[in-house]
Amino acid sequence: MTITAEELAPPQKITWCTGCGNFGILAALKKAVMELDIPRHDYVLVSGIGCSGKTPHYINLNSFHTLHGRPIPVATGLRMANRDLRIIVHTGDGDCYAEGLGHFIHAARRNVDIAVFVHNNGVNALTKGQYSPSSPRGYVSKTSPPPPGAPMDPVNGVAHAIVAGATFVARGYAGDQKSLVGLMKEAITHRGFAVLDIIQPCVTWNRKLTWRYYNERIYRLEEDGHDPSDRIAALQRAMDSSERIPVGVFYRGEGPLLIEGLSVPEGRLRDHATDLKLLEEIIDRLRV
Amino acid sequence: MDITFNIGGMAGQGIDTIGDLLTKVFVRNGLYTFTVKDFESRIRGGYNFTQIRVSDRPVHCPVDDIHVIVALSKDAITGKRDQLVADGVIIYDDRLDFEPSEQCHFPAPLSKTAKSVGGSTRMTNAAALGALLSVVGFPFDLAKEVLSDIFSAKGSDVVERNIRVAQALYDFTAERFTGSCRTLLRDLRPGKATARLVVTGNQAVAFGAMAANAKWVAAYPMSPSTGAFVEIVSHARELGIGVLQTEDEIAALAMAIGASYGGVRSFVSTSGGGFSLMVEALGLAGMTETPVVIYNAQRPGPSTGLPTRTEQSDLLFTLFASQGEFPRVVFAPRDPVDAFEAVVRAFNLADRFQVPAIVLGDQYLADSAMNIEGLDVPGVTIDRGKLYDGSQDQYQRYLLTEDGISPRAFPGDPGVVVVSSGNAHLENGHITEDPSLRDAMVEKFIKKIPAIRESLREPDLYGPDNPELTIVSWGTTWGAIREAVTILNEKEDRTIAHLHFTDIYPLRTGRLEEMFASSERVVSVEQNATSQFAHLVTMETGHTFDGHINKFDGRPMTPRWVMDRVREVIA
Repeated sequence: MTITAEELAPPQKITWCTGCGNFGILAALKKAVMELDIPRHDYVLVSGIGCSGKTPHYINLNSFHTLHGRPIPVATGLRMANRDLRIIVHTGDGDCYAEGLGHFIHAARRNVDIAVFVHNNGVNALTKGQYSPSSPRGYVSKTSPPPPGAPMDPVNGVAHAIVAGATFVARGYAGDQKSLVGLMKEAITHRGFAVLDIIQPCVTWNRKLTWRYYNERIYRLEEDGHDPSDRIAALQRAMDSSERIPVGVFYRGEGPLLIEGLSVPEGRLRDHATDLKLLEEIIDRLRV
Repeated sequence: MDITFNIGGMAGQGIDTIGDLLTKVFVRNGLYTFTVKDFESRIRGGYNFTQIRVSDRPVHCPVDDIHVIVALSKDAITGKRDQLVADGVIIYDDRLDFEPSEQCHFPAPLSKTAKSVGGSTRMTNAAALGALLSVVGFPFDLAKEVLSDIFSAKGSDVVERNIRVAQALYDFTAERFTGSCRTLLRDLRPGKATARLVVTGNQAVAFGAMAANAKWVAAYPMSPSTGAFVEIVSHARELGIGVLQTEDEIAALAMAIGASYGGVRSFVSTSGGGFSLMVEALGLAGMTETPVVIYNAQRPGPSTGLPTRTEQSDLLFTLFASQGEFPRVVFAPRDPVDAFEAVVRAFNLADRFQVPAIVLGDQYLADSAMNIEGLDVPGVTIDRGKLYDGSQDQYQRYLLTEDGISPRAFPGDPGVVVVSSGNAHLENGHITEDPSLRDAMVEKFIKKIPAIRESLREPDLYGPDNPELTIVSWGTTWGAIREAVTILNEKEDRTIAHLHFTDIYPLRTGRLEEMFASSERVVSVEQNATSQFAHLVTMETGHTFDGHINKFDGRPMTPRWVMDRVREVIA
């Protein structure tokens, strides 16, 4: 059952910039997949658009590289089709917190059983450096209004996820492999909507949110007395406006899954065939 | 026999209930009905009506002449007066503040009797039915049994009281009403029709999707499509269908694409505004060769337009929606039976060619009802197209093949890695910007188009050889046009042919070529302002039309409307 590194070897040449935080995410993902006891054919990566969206091309697993902002609804449909799959959405801050924010909130409400990895670098990188929904207020880029830069506060994805009803909410850091692998494994195996916001410096465009910036500010929630079963405490941590940046599990809970609230039959929906005799009976009820 | 009843009033007054009762009475007695609903976009009040045409022959459209109006509001007394035939009658509740001023006005104690005889004004429906059946001389005994059946679920007391109310108004009307209308059905014998299934277009579409084994259905409510989604939702538990009302239409189609990638037949229903939101995902289905079926119940646009009215104005938008170029299939069924079959075929062709398929209905089809023999559920066959048989060394989702169709495998299948991408991709699904691969993949798309065309049906042709005029039409206007053409040929010695399309795109042109060659003139009739189908025909054949007939007021065509316009063209 073990998956080897060779099996996961990148199907094509990686095009991320040297020093990109995505390398750390990809390495952690490979490690998590190899350490978990899940058949390789059950994994599916569903990605959006941006540097994060290319992740599926660099690891040899089932994948669907979709549209900007839409990987979550695509993954939701896929989850309904086959409840045996392990679905991981790879999205970015531009993808998930701009075009896809509505879907993100609704997927959390539904507690659809997928993991969402938000490659969060605070910039729209692939389109060459415009401010993103998670750029800090005042962020200067070519599309930022003239001074003083981006005129709004960033989207707080972790807080949104907690409030909207995600049952697992965590933040990881591309610069901390060990912790990231653990968080990924937990998100992948979590029963319900699992959000893992992953801090990932963009070395090319983001001169503000750098490796150094994060290394100086990050602290671990589990080392700071946080109780991840406490949703209100989780929200307080998520909304902490101090300079320190918490990583680790903010909230871990449980709730009914979307699929349990729907009329999806037992087993895999893809194997199910509608009973046409029954359908005929239903239609016959309209006879007068 | 060909009578039309119009039941009008405010939203929430039970117009539909009276219409349903009336339909059942006639259908049970072996007659054919065709019901249209005309309503405003509001929950209460306004002026709405249900119009039921009853005939001893199958009927496929509404007509202008109305024989009996039942008015539950003042607006309804005057609203359709100009369409009432000379000896017609308008029955209205005498509690309405309206002095009878014409021969046709017949105030009757509908709600008073419901209260005094039945014990509740809720039985005004039964009262209206009694009065209505009386003015047309419909034998009460034939109605009685139907009423008992309809109300039987509510207990024998309710049955009895409803029948007493209906009988009271029937007798009152028989005594007081002196108009000529009552001779219409005095000699009625039950007809021979065995068509006992009363369905709307929306229901037929829903049944088509369920019969085709759609197992994932997602939608955001939008008039006039919502009825189809509601029909599926109401049977989802019984039939094991996953259904979800999504946050928007973008999510609806994205989920359907995700489910289809996972191996499940998926369906979305919407109207033009929702389809506009789906366009980006439509392109994703095109690029990733993911089959999906989209039902667009059109309404007049642009923007919110007329939410509860009808139009055929999304055709060219549907054909060209999305950036880029990719194959798609488009159907526009003409009636509920055709809609059921078109949806089933849409699923099969979507799977066979791995393309999105779109079924264009409209409010007229969605909400109108007729009685039919049945829907051919046992005749449904499922064609999933080319599925992967394990014969490749390493599975490639977009393997280049002679016919452009690559075998499908699904994530979760052991031994394969299924990679799909909305980016330009290699045969293995991973992304590429290589120009020769781009060429190969576009050619792969484009070579499907003639094959899809070959699998579609030629249009329905009716009428004489070498006609003086050929009318070209598509979709739901079929009934009104066919009836108009029949009357013009039979009663006015015209030689008019009618060429009608259900299978829209890729367009089959064989019969069009024949008609352009053999017909003196060719004219399009469409429920839009810009003759969109005619443009498609010209684009595909190079032939131009001798005239265009267009209706875009949001109301369905009637045979008289078509005949008047055709006479202008011929003159």
